[in-house]
Amino acid sequence: MTLPEILTPGRLLAGAVTAAAISLWLLLPRGRESGVARWLGILLGIAALAGLACAGRRLGGLGEEAVFLTVSLVAVVSGAATVLTRSPVYSAIWFAMCLLGVAGVLLVLGAQFLGVATIVVYAGAILVMFLFVLMLAQPAGLAPYDRVSNEPFLSAVTAAVLLGLLTLSIGRLSAEPAAPLAAEPAVTVAADPLAENHVARLGAELFGRHLVSVEAAGVLLLVALIGSIAVVSRSESAGLEDAR
Amino acid sequence: MPVSTPTLQALVPALPLAAAILTMLLGRRLGHRAHLPAVFGIAGAAVAAVMLLLSTHAIATHEIASHGADAGHGDPHSAAAAFQTAKRFDSPATLWHWATIDEAIVPSPAATPPGTPLSAPNAGGSAAAIPFSIPIQLRLDPLTATMLALVTCVGLLVAIYSIGYMSHDPDYARFFSLVALFVFSMTMLVSATNFLVVYVFWEAVGACSYLLIGFWFRKPEAARAAKKAFLVNRVGDFGLAIAVFLIWMTYGTLNFHDVTLADGSLQPGVLGVTRLEEPGRIVGGAIGTVICLCLLLAACGKSAQAPLHVWLPDAMEGPTPASSLIHAATMVTAGIYLVARCAPLFEACPGALVAVSLVGAVTALLAGLIATVQNDLKRVLAYSTISQLGYMFVSLGTGTLLGFTAAIFHLVTHAFFKALLFMGAGSVMHSMGGVIDMRRFGGLRRIMPITAATFLVGSLALAGVPPFAGFFSKDEILASLHAKAFPGGHDGHHEPSTVATVLQPVGFSARLAANPTNTPATNWLDGLDRPTVWRAIWWMAILTAGLTAFYTFRAVFMTFSGPERVPEEAAGHDHAHGGSGPHESPPVMTIPLCILAAASAVSGWWLFSTHALSDFLAVTPSLAAPAVAATAVPHAFHVDIAIQGTLAAAIGIAVAAIGHLGRRSDGPQMERFLGPLEWLFANRFFIDQLYSAFVVKPLEALAFVAAAFDRFVIDGTVDAVGRLPVAAGSLVRGLQSGLVQRYALAGASGVLLIVLALFWRLRG
Amino acid sequence: MMPATLLGMLAAAGMPADGLTVNGLLVGAMLFALGLVGILTRRNLIVMFLCAELMLQGVSVSLVAWSRHHGDWGGQMLVIFVLTVAACEAAIALVLVLGAFARTGRLDSQAWQSLREDNLPRAVDHALPPIDAAAASWPKLTPAGVLPETDEDELLEREHV
Repeated sequence: MTLPEILTPGRLLAGAVTAAAISLWLLLPRGRESGVARWLGILLGIAALAGLACAGRRLGGLGEEAVFLTVSLVAVVSGAATVLTRSPVYSAIWFAMCLLGVAGVLLVLGAQFLGVATIVVYAGAILVMFLFVLMLAQPAGLAPYDRVSNEPFLSAVTAAVLLGLLTLSIGRLSAEPAAPLAAEPAVTVAADPLAENHVARLGAELFGRHLVSVEAAGVLLLVALIGSIAVVSRSESAGLEDAR
Repeated sequence: MPVSTPTLQALVPALPLAAAILTMLLGRRLGHRAHLPAVFGIAGAAVAAVMLLLSTHAIATHEIASHGADAGHGDPHSAAAAFQTAKRFDSPATLWHWATIDEAIVPSPAATPPGTPLSAPNAGGSAAAIPFSIPIQLRLDPLTATMLALVTCVGLLVAIYSIGYMSHDPDYARFFSLVALFVFSMTMLVSATNFLVVYVFWEAVGACSYLLIGFWFRKPEAARAAKKAFLVNRVGDFGLAIAVFLIWMTYGTLNFHDVTLADGSLQPGVLGVTRLEEPGRIVGGAIGTVICLCLLLAACGKSAQAPLHVWLPDAMEGPTPASSLIHAATMVTAGIYLVARCAPLFEACPGALVAVSLVGAVTALLAGLIATVQNDLKRVLAYSTISQLGYMFVSLGTGTLLGFTAAIFHLVTHAFFKALLFMGAGSVMHSMGGVIDMRRFGGLRRIMPITAATFLVGSLALAGVPPFAGFFSKDEILASLHAKAFPGGHDGHHEPSTVATVLQPVGFSARLAANPTNTPATNWLDGLDRPTVWRAIWWMAILTAGLTAFYTFRAVFMTFSGPERVPEEAAGHDHAHGGSGPHESPPVMTIPLCILAAASAVSGWWLFSTHALSDFLAVTPSLAAPAVAATAVPHAFHVDIAIQGTLAAAIGIAVAAIGHLGRRSDGPQMERFLGPLEWLFANRFFIDQLYSAFVVKPLEALAFVAAAFDRFVIDGTVDAVGRLPVAAGSLVRGLQSGLVQRYALAGASGVLLIVLALFWRLRG
Repeated sequence: MMPATLLGMLAAAGMPADGLTVNGLLVGAMLFALGLVGILTRRNLIVMFLCAELMLQGVSVSLVAWSRHHGDWGGQMLVIFVLTVAACEAAIALVLVLGAFARTGRLDSQAWQSLREDNLPRAVDHALPPIDAAAASWPKLTPAGVLPETDEDELLEREHV
């Protein structure tokens, strides 16, 4: 019995999902630290990634493949580290790393503007805010609630099964030819990451067809701004009362 | 005529209805003028009704003369001429169509062949889809016109009288609104030309009577009496409902009159002239008898006939004007009206006719006996009303044209003198500070001379003393009864003994004899239609006549003769408005008394001598039907019958005079005179106790059992079902941890499970 | 032979989709699943929000992949709005987290469980082994004044005041 006969695609997927579940369970904080569990988890995680990578496609060229593999590995591994690290400060830094990976993926996928915007908005603004809050709130970094998880096993199984289902359905969907959504697509996205005038065309689309949505988003931002200020002032006064 | 007849017809019920609504809405604002809408509304209705009566009379007289001439008979009052005239009255005025159904499945749209058993599917032909609706129509014929005029005129007098009588009542407006509503319901009832509409207003009249009897609903006796009247009436209403259902199943229509359908075909009404023309189209036999007995049950409930008479004496708890309105003139005559209206149906069922007479005779005698020992003036009158209504039923049951017209004649005269007597009693009560027990006052003829005089006139009329109204109407009833009881006659004129023989000329009796649907029970009932039975009824009627005179004059003597005594309540009663002590009632009360007294005195003689009423009624479609008209006899005054009736009355008055004239009214004369019988009469033959023992108590026991069942079994089951979710919930309550992440996990895994299940299904 | 593409074999037939699209979708799915695990398990409120952002990133990647797949701008437009909404959400959520911290002195999501069923005991963590890290030496101060009154319930909620 040869390897391909044993490793049918279905079994491969099932194995990868199981490995992912066990790996997540082992790596999640569960109160007591154990070096064996950690290394076993890391190994299983690599196996799971490898298994799931088999569900991917070969791309046009080797260089392209290398670029995509790099950025996506950065994104996924640092995303896993964000979830699994005990210290929230490290979590936030891993998240920043993940964002870089995601930006790379977006760039490869042909969304130049979004790739840059993700870095600017998240890494530049949101993440800094996170860290700021984190420093304010939790200087110790090793609180008991950072060392335990809520229902790690069930959650890991749920997420792994979800991942399996998504992989399966992505496979199903890709068999169908892509159908244009609109009867007459306004602008076709260039497959080339460095397509000419990408941002200009995106801007035209955003401020043409989606102008009302942009206005609504602007109003939403304003409301969120005012709302957060209102909540802050109230909770601070409440905190003052508590202090008294 | 400036106003068309249909407008007048519509005005008769519309004005009281408008008055009722106006008074209800504006009652508080109107204050002491709350009587104005009702009085003017009913007055307008009365004017319209009298105009209708006159125009109908003119038409009847004119047409019957022309038809009589056409037919070539010398006698303008021939049956054929009457029937030709009656056709003129078979087209009602339509207000609107209710419950219109384009394609209704009607059980037997064609005329039902006589004698088809009810059990046969679609008796009398295939069911067909025809347009159907309940027409709200107003009919106008002599019977309706008479009833309309009677109801509105008496209603008007009662309303005027109530202005004085009810003047101190805080619910002044409510009373007048109810009276107007009652007049509306009653006029609609007698104008209706469809059994379903009749049923609706039959109930409406019952509801008004409930509201009027229970007018002083804070008084427990009044509330109880209203409830009793309502419940006892329900028994009768049940009979009417069954009768309506049976009529629908048997005849396929509920209309009285013939209707021309959209496709031009003629749908014969139950009492339409087309059906009446061919007597074979009226269903007799078992079904016909059951229909008639159900109608009789309905009439018994409304007209307080045995065994459903028990509500009327208790109904005296209501205000006296309401008593006179409901119990003298209007509501209780609804039963008489119904039987007279359905005369052709009864005519086909001799057994049902005997049942009508027997019920009437038994009621008349029973109520007369009970009335002899009553000490409450209004209760004497109540029992007297029951007794007189029984008389009318006896008359209806004879099934002859004379009998039907005599019943209506007595109804009219009785309305006059009984309304008079009730109002007189009310006047006494008003003056005596609410005391109505005859043993507590006496010799009032000097204190209230007008009331005494008018009361005496009413009593003479009620007792049947010539030449007052009651004498003539009672004499006609006795004459019709005499003809049945002593066939062969006293004057030598031929009086057929049974309906079957009456109908011989039109080939009816052969069908009756061979009718396969007759059951042993109906055969037995039909078998009662023989002179022996009628003779028994005759003697009961004569005995009742004597009793009537006795108890009436006992009441008169106890109240108005003897030493003058007034109860202490009367003295304090009048201080509020400046008077002192017992007094004659105000003119607003005595004027109606005088009008009614005049009517009681002369109406009988006038109507009898001119035959105006009987000739007029004879052209009503129901009474001009060949089956009924064939029983007509020439008008005559039978001296021997009159002497018997008068003799009975005289003996009654004499006995009353011996016992009570000039004596103190609280003496023990009755007890000495009757002995143990007094105990029986005073307890009203224990009928109420029988009802209590055999109907009320078992029902209460049943209700108790049902309540227990409801509380323990049904509620228990419901409670158990209610505890089930609580028990199930306690199993999973531990999941409600308050931890947001557990909830999120449950949500995520739940969605996942659903997606998995979908995948599982789509896989295959 | 190792299958080059698993999905190529799973798919019954038909034109295979663009390789980048499928790979992008896969990356998006992984990020989403990781974020889900984090939000379900991690008790630190800040980390929970980081995980929520991670899920949003997964969704963004998927949307861009779909946008590419269909040759339509719609997906990218949606991502821009996702960014906007994420910014709003982060602003308000961080304010709320700050408020919560001001009340309890903890960033623990399990600090709030008063919506649990009556008569159900409060969920409490098992005893944890001590941390090996060198014990922090805090300065000792001389007690002065009187001890403030302590609220038993509040002590349960508060880690330090």
